[in-house]
Amino acid sequence: MIQFAQVSKRYPNGQDALRQVNLEIASGEMAFLTGHSGAGKSTMLKLICLMERATSGQVIINGKNLNKVKRRKIPAVRRDIGMIFQDHRLLFDRTVFDNVALPLMIAGYEHREIGRRVRAALDKVGLLSKEKNTPIMLSGGEQQRVGIARAVVNKPPLLLADEPTGNLDPELSAEIMRLFEQFNQVGVSLLIASHDLSLLAQMHYRTLVMKEGRLVQDQTDEALNIEPVDSEHSPSEHPLDDQYE
Amino acid sequence: MGASMTQGASFSARLKMLVRLHKLEANRGLKDIFDNPFSNFMTVLVIAIALALPAGLQILLDNGKNLSQSWDGASRISLYLKVNLKDSQTQILADKIRRNLAVERVDVILPSMALKDFGERSGFADAIAELDSNPLPPTLVVQPSPEYSSPAASEKLLAEFELLADVDKAQLDLDWVRKLYALIQLAEKAAAALGAALALAVLLIVGNTIRLSVQNRREEIEVVKLVGATDAFIRRPFLYTGFWYGLFAGILCWIILEISLVWLEEPVANLASLYQSQFMVSGLNLFQSFQLLTVSCSLGLLGSWFSVGRHIRNIEPR
Repeated sequence: MIQFAQVSKRYPNGQDALRQVNLEIASGEMAFLTGHSGAGKSTMLKLICLMERATSGQVIINGKNLNKVKRRKIPAVRRDIGMIFQDHRLLFDRTVFDNVALPLMIAGYEHREIGRRVRAALDKVGLLSKEKNTPIMLSGGEQQRVGIARAVVNKPPLLLADEPTGNLDPELSAEIMRLFEQFNQVGVSLLIASHDLSLLAQMHYRTLVMKEGRLVQDQTDEALNIEPVDSEHSPSEHPLDDQYE
Repeated sequence: MGASMTQGASFSARLKMLVRLHKLEANRGLKDIFDNPFSNFMTVLVIAIALALPAGLQILLDNGKNLSQSWDGASRISLYLKVNLKDSQTQILADKIRRNLAVERVDVILPSMALKDFGERSGFADAIAELDSNPLPPTLVVQPSPEYSSPAASEKLLAEFELLADVDKAQLDLDWVRKLYALIQLAEKAAAALGAALALAVLLIVGNTIRLSVQNRREEIEVVKLVGATDAFIRRPFLYTGFWYGLFAGILCWIILEISLVWLEEPVANLASLYQSQFMVSGLNLFQSFQLLTVSCSLGLLGSWFSVGRHIRNIEPR
């Protein structure tokens, strides 16, 4: 799903954000990315969703070499990636429903289909009753869940999260992580950047540690690999399916 | 049902969604304008005035042309005959000219009639009575038939009459009409230049307004780009905003012009009556109104197109 081959990134100001990073994350895998701020976590995520381009090396996402993606084709790449941000990045002048509907409207879905999918996604994150609210009326945890609903509504095969629990208390953080696990159990690949070490310790997933632009540690927890655990869903079935159909 | 709708949506479903999306964004553009009514009204007013100047000038020129054309048809040639010509000879000459196919009508003004008329009109009747002899020449007023009343044809006719032995002087009354015509042509060029300059101004006004609104929505554009929006998707609501600016400005401009014309109507009618004319200022007809709106909408759309394309490219999510 994600492949980094000898990837380096130097910003115009001369800062080396990534140095010769090699990495492979399989389809259906859930992995954490950690390290001090400035270690290169964010740069890594930015390279994957083409917010930045690698200075050298190759980034291959879903079989697509991003070096060869022209500017005009960037939106198509981003539609296959669900992105979750620490600051949620919601549109505050629109309702929760409209925020979540945004990726579907961009993709040109039919009106009724949009309604069905948005409600399924909101139901999944437990915010169905707030669809008509604006994000400003919601708590931080709820806003983050709206962001997650928006990221998954289009059923992308890959989810990226940049410090998704950065502003949340441990209880809410655990709740968000459980949501991520549910998506992972149906085959969605996830890469989550976080420096919340206590949270990572509880999670038993593959953890990539960055330091000064290098990947210094790659711990794979053998016990909890990519086996689907939940028997209720088969991997081919997305949690947003079979609701409101 | 929508359930069958997957990535490979049918063309008609996509089209339906596109139409819906356009409706939605047209409304959003409208809402943007009404959310900030005062400053947007100012913008619309500025555009409307910039449009009203060349459009108003064009209306005046059209009216001027109408005026000159209506006189064009009435181009007359005055033939001043030799002073000592007898009345009977004058009549013979008039009959001869009447037989010319290019002539529609010939009016004879005999010296005695002319003197009497002049006396009555000028109020110098007493002074004229003192005169020994009549200084006025007999005059024939020749009205060319319509197909010979163009400036070139009347000129040819004039040259023909000048060669007649009894004619002292032939004069084309069209002269001043042609001067007016030339003046109008000059003014038309000037109006076109002014129109082009002001159209450019409208483009810049709309472009600048849209630039500000793009900047105000920078964050929103970043978010929408992050979830995979194409430039076309982002551009659309701004294009609609530009279109609405153009439409509202066009309507306001139309209203400004109509009010100005109503305001001008009475003095023009007064002036026309002094010249024994039925001339009335004609405003914008249906077609011209449509033209005005088309131009203003296009300028709004074009202005936002130029602006938004450049500015949304510079906004990349961070």
